[in-house]
Amino acid sequence: MSESKIGKFYFKHLKKLAIIPLILFILALTGLIIQASVTGDFMNKDVSLKGGISSTVYTNQEIDESELKAHLGVDSNTRVLGDFSTGEQLGIMVEVSDLNSTVLEEKLESFFNMELTQENYSVEETGPKLGEAFYRQLILALIFALILMGVAVLIAFRTIIPSLAVVFAAITDIIVTLAIVNLFGMQISTAGIVAFLLVIGYSIDTNILLTTRVLKKKELSVNDRIKASAKTGLTMTFTTILALTAGIIFVTSPVIKGMFTIVVIALLVDILTTYFTNAGILSWYVKKKG
Amino acid sequence: MKFKKILKKWQVWFLLFWILVAALSISYQFDAQGVIVNGVEVNSSASLAGMTSPSPDTRPTAREHIISINDIEITDKEHYFSIIEEIPLESILRIQTSEGEYALLKNNESVGISVANAPTSNIVKGLDLQGGTRVLLSPVEEISSSEIQDIMDVLENRLNVYGLTDLTIKSASDLEGGEYILVEIAGASQEEVRELLGSQGRFEAKIGDKIVFVGGEEDITFVCRNDGTCSRIVACNPTADGEACRFEFEISLSEKAAERHAEVTKDLKLNYTEGGSAILEKQIDFYLDGVLVDSLNIGESLRGQEATNIQISGSGFGKDKESAIQNTIDERTHLQTVLITGSLPSEIEIVKLDSISPSLGQQFINNAWLVGLIAVLSVGLVISVRYRSVKIVIPMLLSIAFEVFIILGFAALFRYNLDLAAIAGIIAAVGTGVDDLIIITDETLSKETSARSLKERIKRAFFIVFVAYATTVAAMIPLFTAGAGLLTGFALITIIGVSIGVFVTRPAFASVVRTLLE
Repeated sequence: MSESKIGKFYFKHLKKLAIIPLILFILALTGLIIQASVTGDFMNKDVSLKGGISSTVYTNQEIDESELKAHLGVDSNTRVLGDFSTGEQLGIMVEVSDLNSTVLEEKLESFFNMELTQENYSVEETGPKLGEAFYRQLILALIFALILMGVAVLIAFRTIIPSLAVVFAAITDIIVTLAIVNLFGMQISTAGIVAFLLVIGYSIDTNILLTTRVLKKKELSVNDRIKASAKTGLTMTFTTILALTAGIIFVTSPVIKGMFTIVVIALLVDILTTYFTNAGILSWYVKKKG
Repeated sequence: MKFKKILKKWQVWFLLFWILVAALSISYQFDAQGVIVNGVEVNSSASLAGMTSPSPDTRPTAREHIISINDIEITDKEHYFSIIEEIPLESILRIQTSEGEYALLKNNESVGISVANAPTSNIVKGLDLQGGTRVLLSPVEEISSSEIQDIMDVLENRLNVYGLTDLTIKSASDLEGGEYILVEIAGASQEEVRELLGSQGRFEAKIGDKIVFVGGEEDITFVCRNDGTCSRIVACNPTADGEACRFEFEISLSEKAAERHAEVTKDLKLNYTEGGSAILEKQIDFYLDGVLVDSLNIGESLRGQEATNIQISGSGFGKDKESAIQNTIDERTHLQTVLITGSLPSEIEIVKLDSISPSLGQQFINNAWLVGLIAVLSVGLVISVRYRSVKIVIPMLLSIAFEVFIILGFAALFRYNLDLAAIAGIIAAVGTGVDDLIIITDETLSKETSARSLKERIKRAFFIVFVAYATTVAAMIPLFTAGAGLLTGFALITIIGVSIGVFVTRPAFASVVRTLLE
């Protein structure tokens, strides 16, 4: 299909396309409610949010992760850390909530048959009370951030409906991304929730661009305004996605990998919320106002 | 000439000004050599010779440099340690530093200086990158902020007395009114930190149920350490599952405590040991945080006496003799530390304890450069495909590079350690930066038939940039108080980063691109 054909199809069906993110939003919300009613939480919290130990043994020993899990004898997560650029294994990461650090260290020493020292062993331990406080406060921070962002947008545009559309786009991005992350079975850390705050900062850029162009660039037709801003916006989104994907592949820190993954998913979701729903709402809004 | 025209723009000069500020604050040292002093242990040979810890505000490149020891020029940290090791005990060593010359008597294996390789710049690697221990402490009961300060003072003193000098202590509070103390220490083991910081350190010496003296300077005027004549490991014996050793050291009591000793012991009856020596019917018991550490017999001669010299004892265990001795030394140092520094004004608990190995740090940094390069290349690729013009691609990539450089300059200026959170913040700031550059470029390029001037279009681009900026800052503000202060750094670096972008690099970019395309 040529560019103009896509454009034609897009503008002809914009009202219907606008529904797609809404459906995704409802599906995601349902998914989250089911998740919460089954597990008690909207997300799979990792040890930094529910309390526990995340430890890393720096070794190039190749191991069978299921053997390690059996050896630990409690519910655990294990992961092999590697450096993609050299293909080397950096270490093994183990996360547990039901062992204290001394017992975990002893078990790991006997499994790897090596003495764990400050040089070859990192351990991060979060008390359950602190983990819960982090969780509660970060969720609160997320809500505050959405409100502050809404106020900023409202001050900038001075019109209710387009501002609400931007806030709704941000909420949809967050909810749908969270549902996808859950679907993948990914655990969310403190940094993961911070990544959702970044989503507010990032994904909103394209929405603000679109809203400004549609409301302020009066000399073109509405469709042309949307088209021009999509060209700019998609360039923005793809540069970011490409750069972050490179990061996900090459970076050695699991914390940063996790953050990047969340932002990339959200940016993909945001393409739909911006150019289907938000564009639909704006196009309807401008036409109604004449 | 376009170049001359570009140099006439104030935006460009404004950018150059900030690049200069960043360069000065990073102050890269091309000839960095030797080691710097990051801390000096209390009562160590070094501190007795007049060396002092730098104040935490001293910038890394401005810290005291150790130039030579006994006229041997020091090249790096390993070299420093090997030189110190070679010097025999009880001999004098002359340390030449950037501040002066000191003569130290080496009476211990360590002379009490915590050193680091001379920094190449003022950018300090954070805990995630250089390794170390991070502890988040929280008071068990609600306390006032002045009490928090008291606790921090005791903790700092305790760590210093123990021999840990390269550290930072900060307090933080969170959204729900929780109070925290964040301690970051370079080079300490998790167990040491857990023992030193996780307990209140309430030492009590009791005879029967009467307290004779407690830890702290009010009752204890001197604690013998690092001196074999009054502090020693006495005996090691095999036990059922390993080896146990005992330690003893002497302390001096204040007059008041000595009077209490006389008062408590004066009416005690005498008992006789198998060897026939007379001892008091009750022992003196040492308690640490309510747990009995050791008990000692009291000789007849001390009954009713205002004893000012008291012997303290305890023991350590291990799988074999070597580890038992090490454990005994650790236990002794711990006990000596709390005797000197006293108990914390109220109870605290460790809520988070991270001990990070230094081995991954260097790997992460090398890798970060690679990732940065790949990220910049991929950004370059997308914008090259889209704009097909070096007049746009090169200013864009330069703008990104300058932005990162100025952010690093700010981090160095405010002595903010570069850790994972800061790196994530830089990425976040640069990410939104690229978005803005694309918006500015498209507005500049947009071919509109109407009479709207380029100036107006750039104005509109900056409207979008500012609204996007406001929403990013809005999203970061709540992080200042959520998460017990652990996320403040991320929020701060992100906000500084986007602010530099919006007020410094992007205006310069806009004016350069405008000039180039005119």
